[in-house]
Formats: sequence, structure tokens, C-alpha cells
Amino acid sequence: MKKIIFACVSLIFWIQGCNAEIEPKNAETFMKTIGDEVISLLTDKTITDQERANQFREILQTRFNVKAIGKFVLGRYWKQASDEEKQKFLELFKETTVASYATRFKEYTSERFEILNSRAEPDGGVIVSSQIVRPNGQVIPIDWKIFEKNGELRIYDVILEGISMGITQRSEYASVIQKGGGRIEAINQALEQKLTTYQ
Amino acid sequence: MKIVFSLLFFLGGLLTPAHAQEDAWSYTTDAVHPGKELQLSPQEREQDLNPSEDTDNDPFEPVNRVVFEFNELVDTIFLEPLAAMYEGVVHEFIRERVGYALRNLSEPLVLVNNLLQGELGDAGETLDRFLLNSTYGVGGLFDVSTDLGIPYKKEDFGMTLASWGMGAGPYIVLPILGPSNLRDTLGRIGDYGFDPINVWGYSADKELYCDIRTGVQILDAKTDNIKIIEDLRKNAIDYYATIRTWYSERRKHLVRKESEAIETPRPDEDE
Repeated sequence: MKKIIFACVSLIFWIQGCNAEIEPKNAETFMKTIGDEVISLLTDKTITDQERANQFREILQTRFNVKAIGKFVLGRYWKQASDEEKQKFLELFKETTVASYATRFKEYTSERFEILNSRAEPDGGVIVSSQIVRPNGQVIPIDWKIFEKNGELRIYDVILEGISMGITQRSEYASVIQKGGGRIEAINQALEQKLTTYQ
Repeated sequence: MKIVFSLLFFLGGLLTPAHAQEDAWSYTTDAVHPGKELQLSPQEREQDLNPSEDTDNDPFEPVNRVVFEFNELVDTIFLEPLAAMYEGVVHEFIRERVGYALRNLSEPLVLVNNLLQGELGDAGETLDRFLLNSTYGVGGLFDVSTDLGIPYKKEDFGMTLASWGMGAGPYIVLPILGPSNLRDTLGRIGDYGFDPINVWGYSADKELYCDIRTGVQILDAKTDNIKIIEDLRKNAIDYYATIRTWYSERRKHLVRKESEAIETPRPDEDE
């Protein structure tokens, strides 16, 4: 009996996975979990900054689709890049993201993270709206774009007051590549350079 | 000290008060609601339907970059230290009151823009906000309207032009004022001319009040944004390009219909 139920449940999940339609409520729960994870990471005084960065890298890798985001921000240059350049870019992209957040975490002062609501988008994804409430009452609205892929929920974009971080970075990286004569290597060098400034 | 303030007000005179309060990249406004109906030009609609990556309409980039560097210089040697001083000397409670009072004084202009856009419902709410906050909010020092469920909703003439179907046009970095585009530059001029507070000020020979208001608005906006600017500067690879996108996307967001989706990364097949 148990096996049959399990099979049915798997089938349902499999079908859902095929449709790639997700319940907005599930995405909300997913975001809530991540928010709690990050807050506990920030409030844990027993770990070093290095450990904190490592744990955040773990969250980034398991909760975000870094490859899809990296591909998006490289835009049309993704197709021109060699496999080697792509690999190097994705690694640098991930590391600069971790490093930039690690420095932001140092300034953390008891902000609250609240989930507001969620809605399904025409492209099959879900937007979860949330806000960060700062100690002085200032509110920063953040939307999260979530898709389901192979039965797993992943974050694909962070939208700050209607500004997509994916689009912002794509435009910035395109500008760097264009100034570097259209070579992918230009952005990789710039990111490597950036990484050294965080140390 | 007096010189510093005179200089500030001199600079203030160069600025259009309507926008000075809200910096281009301010992302911490209390209540942002996307604009309502929006008529897009065929070109813009095309762009919205087939989002191209080359949306950075910046034909004057070389000139813009020079002006941008100049603005950075003015910011770092003059405006930011002043803002830091304001933040250090004036208590947060007072600064917040100042911010609300300034926003209250910008409501008549919002009302004008509501009317120009034919948004009578919004116009009614703006009028309610202004009357409530000016009276029960002690001359706008407290935002009682938001507590009563009528949150602030930004409108300016640039957004009005967008609602009439005008495209953003090329990106322009204005001296001291910072990021803009052709439409929003016209919008600033319009706002300056239409602002009932300015109209009153200039007709009643109270230009000084207008200039003081502008000066404090710049200070208020800088103080609000100082942390964000610091963060962007530190983490950007190409700060100019980041600000350009930040501004363009923010303005797009303000005139976007609620139903319009933003293009974002998405899963694809060959992963």
C-alpha cells in the first residue's frame, strides 16, 4: 500500500515537474526557509567571517541557479565564450557574489525579513514579494523570481524595487566586455581584479 | 559654515526641487506603486515584447561619462561630507520629520501630475493626503495618511510624459542632477514650472524659501542614499554602467503596468 501511495505521489510530483508550474505558496515557504537560514547565519556569533562566507556560498549554490543566472548576465556573449571561459566566468561570478555579500553581512544590524505574498508569472515562474525592515523602520522591498526545475525550487533573480539584479549585471558586464574589445576574457579579468579588492 | 550653506543654496538654485528629494537610485521609498495605464510607442512595445539586450540607449556615452565623473567629484568632496555631517549632527527623529515635511510639500506637484494623466482617483487620494498630513500631520511633519491606508505614490512630469506615450529617449547624465534621459529631462523642466509651491514662491517673491527647500531636499536625499551609493560604488565593476541601468530600470518600473512581467533569468533546456 505504502509503495502504491509513494508511486502515486512521485507521479504527481513528476507530472508537476514536467509542467514546471509551481504553487506560489510553496515558493513562499521556500523563501521563508532561506530567509531563516540566512538570518541564523548572520546572528550566529560563534562562527568566523570565513565560515560565514563558506556557509553562504553553500546557500547560494543550493538555493540559486547560479549557472542560469550567470548565463543570463553574460547575455549574447555566452554563445561566443569557449567552455573554458564559461567555467571560469561562472566560478568568478559566484565568488564575487559571495565576497560582496560577505562584506555586506558585516554591517548586519538586526534587520527583519518578512514574506509578503506571491504570484504566478506568465513565464511559469513565481514572484515572491518580501521586505527587509531595518531597525529604523525603513523598508526595502525585494522580489524573488523562483522557478521549479527537475522537482527543485531555485531562485533565478532578485528584484529590488522593480530593478532586476540580473538585468543590471548583464548591462554592466556587457559594458565591460565592449570596452575590452568584445573579449569574454575582459570580464573574467575584471572579476578577478574585483575579487582581490575584497580580501 | 555660512559659506557652505550659501554654496549649497546656490547649487540648490540650479536644481529642480521636484526630483531633488528623490534621488534617481533611491530604492528605499516607503510606498512605490507602479504607474497605472501606460501607452507605449510601437518601438517600446516591440522592445517590451522582445526584450533586446541592447537597451542601454546611450549614444552620448563619452560625454555622459565625463559629466558623471564631474558629478562624482562634486559628490565626494562636497555633497557627501555635508550629508554625513547632517546625519551626524541632526537626530534621526528630526531628519525623518524633515523628510516627511518635504514630501508633503511635493504633493501639490504630484496632484498636478495626477490631473495631467487624467487619474482622477489618484488625484483625490493625493489631495486627501496633502490635506490630512498638513493638518493632522502637523504641517506634514507626520505621515498620518499612510497609517490611514493612503500611501505616498510618486508621480512626476517625466512619468506623465510616459503616460502620454513618450519614449524614454537617450540616456543623459545632467551636471549635478545626475542620471536622466531625454523624457525625464523635459519632465524636470515641466515639474519646475508646474510645481504649485514654486509658482507661489516666485509670484510672492519668496524665491529664498524655494531655494532653501531645494537645498534641504538635496541633503535629505543624499543622507537617505549614502549607504546605497557606497555599496554600489564598492561592488560595481563598471559603476557608470551600473548607475545607468539602475536609473533606467527604476524609471521603467515606475511607469510599468502592474500586469507587465519583468524579464529575468529562467531555466532552459540545455542545462
